[in-house]
Amino acid sequence: MTTFYRRLPRFNYLAPVSLNEALSLLARYKGKAKVIAGGTDIIPKLKRREIRAPEHVIDLKAIPGLDNIQYDVSGLSLGALVTIGAVETSAIIQEKFGVLAQAARSMASPQVRNRGTIAGNICNAVPSADSAPPLLTIGAKLKLVSQEGERVVGIEDFFTGPGQTALANDEILQEIQIPHPPPNSQGIYLKLTPRRAMDLAIVGVAVVIIPQDGICKDIRIALGAVAPTPIRARRAEVVLKGQKLDDNLIEKAARTAAGEARPIDDHRASAEYRRDMVEVLVRRAIKQAIGSRS
Amino acid sequence: MKEINLTVNNRPYRLSVLPWRTLLEVIRENLGLTGTKEGCGLGECGACTVLIDGRAVNSCLVLAAEAEGKEITTIEGLADGDKLHPLQQAFVDHGGLQCGFCTPGMILSAKALLDENPTPTEEEIKQGIAGNLCRCTGYAKIIESIKAAAENMGGK
Amino acid sequence: MSELSVIGERVPRVDAIEKVTGQAKYAADYSLPDMLWCKLLRSPHPHARILNIDTSKAERLPGVKGIVTGKDFGGWSWGWMPATRDEPPMAVDKVRYMAEAVAGLAAVDEDTAEEAVGLIKVEYEELPGVFEPEEAMKDGAPAIHDYVKNNISVEYHWNFGDVDKAFAESHLVREDRFRTARATHGYLEPPAILAYYDPTGYITVQASKQSPYFHYRHLAACFKVPLSRVRVIQPFIGGGFGGTKNDSLAGDFCAVLLSKITGRPVKYIESMEEELATSRRRHSVIVYSKMGVGKDGLLKAIQHRVVADGGGYTAIGPLSMYLNGFMTTLPYRLPHFKFDAYRVFTNNPIGAAMRGHGVTHTRFAAEIQMEMLAEELGIDPVEMRMRNAIDNPRPGETYETINKVTLKTCGLKQAIREAVADPVWRDRDKLPKKEGNISWGTGISGTSYSGGARQMGHQACAAIIRLCEDGTVNLITGATDCGQGSDTVLCMIAAEELGIKLDDVAIKRVDTAYTPVDPGSYGSRVTILAGQATQKAARQVKKQLVEAAAKNWQVKAEDVEIKLGEVYLKSDPSKKMPFGKLARIACYSGTGAVIMGTGYSSYGIEPLDLTNGIGNGGCSYSFTAHTARVGVDMETGKITTTDFTIASDCGRLLSPIQAEGQIEGGAIQGLGQALYEDFIMDRGRTLNPTFLDYKMPHALDVPDMKLIDIVTDDPFGPFGAKEASEGSIVSAPPAVVSAIHDATGIWFTELPVTPEKIIKALKERK
Repeated sequence: MTTFYRRLPRFNYLAPVSLNEALSLLARYKGKAKVIAGGTDIIPKLKRREIRAPEHVIDLKAIPGLDNIQYDVSGLSLGALVTIGAVETSAIIQEKFGVLAQAARSMASPQVRNRGTIAGNICNAVPSADSAPPLLTIGAKLKLVSQEGERVVGIEDFFTGPGQTALANDEILQEIQIPHPPPNSQGIYLKLTPRRAMDLAIVGVAVVIIPQDGICKDIRIALGAVAPTPIRARRAEVVLKGQKLDDNLIEKAARTAAGEARPIDDHRASAEYRRDMVEVLVRRAIKQAIGSRS
Repeated sequence: MKEINLTVNNRPYRLSVLPWRTLLEVIRENLGLTGTKEGCGLGECGACTVLIDGRAVNSCLVLAAEAEGKEITTIEGLADGDKLHPLQQAFVDHGGLQCGFCTPGMILSAKALLDENPTPTEEEIKQGIAGNLCRCTGYAKIIESIKAAAENMGGK
Repeated sequence: MSELSVIGERVPRVDAIEKVTGQAKYAADYSLPDMLWCKLLRSPHPHARILNIDTSKAERLPGVKGIVTGKDFGGWSWGWMPATRDEPPMAVDKVRYMAEAVAGLAAVDEDTAEEAVGLIKVEYEELPGVFEPEEAMKDGAPAIHDYVKNNISVEYHWNFGDVDKAFAESHLVREDRFRTARATHGYLEPPAILAYYDPTGYITVQASKQSPYFHYRHLAACFKVPLSRVRVIQPFIGGGFGGTKNDSLAGDFCAVLLSKITGRPVKYIESMEEELATSRRRHSVIVYSKMGVGKDGLLKAIQHRVVADGGGYTAIGPLSMYLNGFMTTLPYRLPHFKFDAYRVFTNNPIGAAMRGHGVTHTRFAAEIQMEMLAEELGIDPVEMRMRNAIDNPRPGETYETINKVTLKTCGLKQAIREAVADPVWRDRDKLPKKEGNISWGTGISGTSYSGGARQMGHQACAAIIRLCEDGTVNLITGATDCGQGSDTVLCMIAAEELGIKLDDVAIKRVDTAYTPVDPGSYGSRVTILAGQATQKAARQVKKQLVEAAAKNWQVKAEDVEIKLGEVYLKSDPSKKMPFGKLARIACYSGTGAVIMGTGYSSYGIEPLDLTNGIGNGGCSYSFTAHTARVGVDMETGKITTTDFTIASDCGRLLSPIQAEGQIEGGAIQGLGQALYEDFIMDRGRTLNPTFLDYKMPHALDVPDMKLIDIVTDDPFGPFGAKEASEGSIVSAPPAVVSAIHDATGIWFTELPVTPEKIIKALKERK
């Protein structure tokens, strides 16, 4: 806290026009380059000197074909440059992957949503990232590319710690791949915040459930802001999967989920409050998901 | 230095900018358009809001270099000579401003909202300006101004 | 007052067009071609001795033109009173709060300045720190200043009547502890300055100051330059709210000194994080409140013991503590009052003024405690207030409190009546109390704030009106519009008095080289005091013009009237001429004349009695009745505020759009302090110095607001006006907390009432 900065640190700016060019730059400047997509996370971090300034900032936005939202036989694919706003307003995402659209809508502000990308939100990997719990519940896979080749990583293996991911420093997240939603699945994202705008989640809960004749055919529950990374609440899922959906069981699942959370005390909230709210939000999300119609 | 070409308020510019300069800094310091304000510099207050290709963004979060080829609208680009844009006129008439520091950003967010949704509900107006902090007005007369502007601009 | 032509009209503010077009220039918008950029180095420790500062590496960085440290200010320090001059421009021998400035430098661009600051090496000897005022008062706590004992920065002991006897005679006595939040002004414009020290010994600055004349005195004293050679130019100001922008900052002093050293203009702009982490804040105050009432709920006595977190220096602390106490005898009749106040140094950022200064803490405590007593007695909270409220004095009469606060109008009872007649309160039992997880509640408060602040000899303010030969007019005054709209009100007063249209009055911002002294914007003084000065100046001009008309028409001066730009004979209105024509006649006839008027505020300047708390701290007092409706999610603690109804007695609203804006804005700032705003501190470090985590309300967080105007036409005025800018920031927090009690059954005594605190309290209740 000895100096407060108004200016960004010095760096070079590069705008490759193809993915290959971007990857070869990353390979060449390994560790000394950072990718910029929407800029809404990296610029504040650089300005506050939270991360060491890279020598090169590589802008992906001149690369064509990275901003597509594509829904076809293989499922949904979101390019690296798809903005949060585009996800929020996409008719197909609202219809088929409502849990993700709801999360997008809850994020930051209109201005940030117009620039920030879903890929960026994942790669920034704060534990409270709003897109993460939904993606965990809909089985997202991430296509990571480098000059060496490409690999697909399941989202549940992507987050390795607060602000840390499996992305190597010569890799780019090119695409988020999401399989077709199972028929009759309903998703809800609930975000607990002190105000009604601009807040990080104190607790974020995503639930995708397939109710069938009062039975929980399948359920996925994911939690944000209550562990070093966004997590699936798998023990809670087990409580409900294949079981009759009644209030007591839902409550038990919610309590179980709260037990799976590992929140910390910080200046935004205490661990105890966060844990208590996991139970409340999971219960509400499940009930809302059951109650909602497509 | 980086050479960039961009259009600001319908005027083309060719500028030489440092790579780490933000669009906000270049608008204010290279172009002398000081109507766009720096509040928090971190994208949390909206005072620096400009339109890029019609969409509201925090210009403090955009590198000047990223604005290559874009059309930027700042507050100075809204009035038509002496004739105020209906939003500007509404803010004047309804007291939608006090100290005026949030006003340029607020008006541009409102413009982006009305351009996309000419008949917003009150809730939609509040959502549209959710990224713009105001400390003076309590938002009441801002919302009233935007409603009045929407009516004047043809929406009901 | 139906004769008014301009006052009371719903007019846009006079600077609206400049602001909506982006033409209005604020301090950071000014540049000069050869200017340098100033940057400050700040302390990483909250309490430490400065052993050594090595600037050699920074000096060698190309582009660095000058570096200064605390020692370069020659041992000068400043403060609000002669006895409290404990604050140097920058820390000299030790730092007393985290991020206090220790060095400043100027470089050819801000990038270089920021890089250079990182090259300055400071050796510190860390000292133990203390961060809670009650800890800091104890024997053995680290001494922050050597000139006081037990870190007591300010201490008052007032005693009116006999509270012990009154408590003994009370039917019911309560003792409760309250605490207000660590809140700050939250303006969107970070402080900034462009300074130039002319080698002939003339200082010019463009700075975001809502009291330019305080700053000019500080600069004159610091740099030993005559006041006549200090020019503070006020740009448009992006919000002030009293506090930091009334004072002078390390960056201001450094910019001027560096300009002196380098011979070039120097610009300094704070980052918002810097502002939130280091600037003056509202004091966080602990109030030990003891209140005794009779069986009928009538107040018998209040005893307040107030402990305020003063932070590292005194600043305006003496006034803050005075304001915590002097108005506790309003807005209800109070026969006995004891006040013991302590402002305590801690190693936190400095506690200073903010809108609703002082009063907000103790009024919050007293309002809530009075409702607690009402609840115990089974008396309706509205009834409780109506029984105790001061009645509106009859014309010619004065109400005097036990500590000799006097007032001629008090619209509180009418405000309460009208606030509760409004559907939000009136129909509250018709609405469901519980909807799913939401528990609804309505609350009420009755409060007061003072206007026309007195500040001993620094009261003086004046206005000049200059008539241009074409009949338009310049209003030249040191009164400082920091966004609240005072320029508009003063122009309306000038137009009304002169009999011309508002559009024909032009005003610019303060420039101490040309405008007459005015202490600036604080204490809701501008409409009342600068308004009076403006009235007098306008009357002087009108008198000269009326005499010119009388001479020209060969009539008696008393027969001439001027209204809305027309000059006419009262006895024969068909005999008339446009004001512009009269102006030309007056200016050009004979040997020519320059028509000017001057006026100064001459409201009785009683000295402020800080030691005993006797007498008026203001000229008149506004009264507010405020109802609030909230919904509390009983599982998450999250609060939704749906309605505010605010009935304000501001005497008379001179410029309704501006006054409403102030009432609405103040209410939302109060809402912020009730529910969301708090600096979270960790041993002197501010953990949330950004707008992400210092949570001010957004548009989605605000209730529907309904304003009710209670007109009492105060004889003080001008035009019957009382203050309209601070009442609602005092009324909002107790109204909201009262509503939360209605919804949850729990009295919250610590602000802000966060969701987590609600859940914790609900859990403890089980």
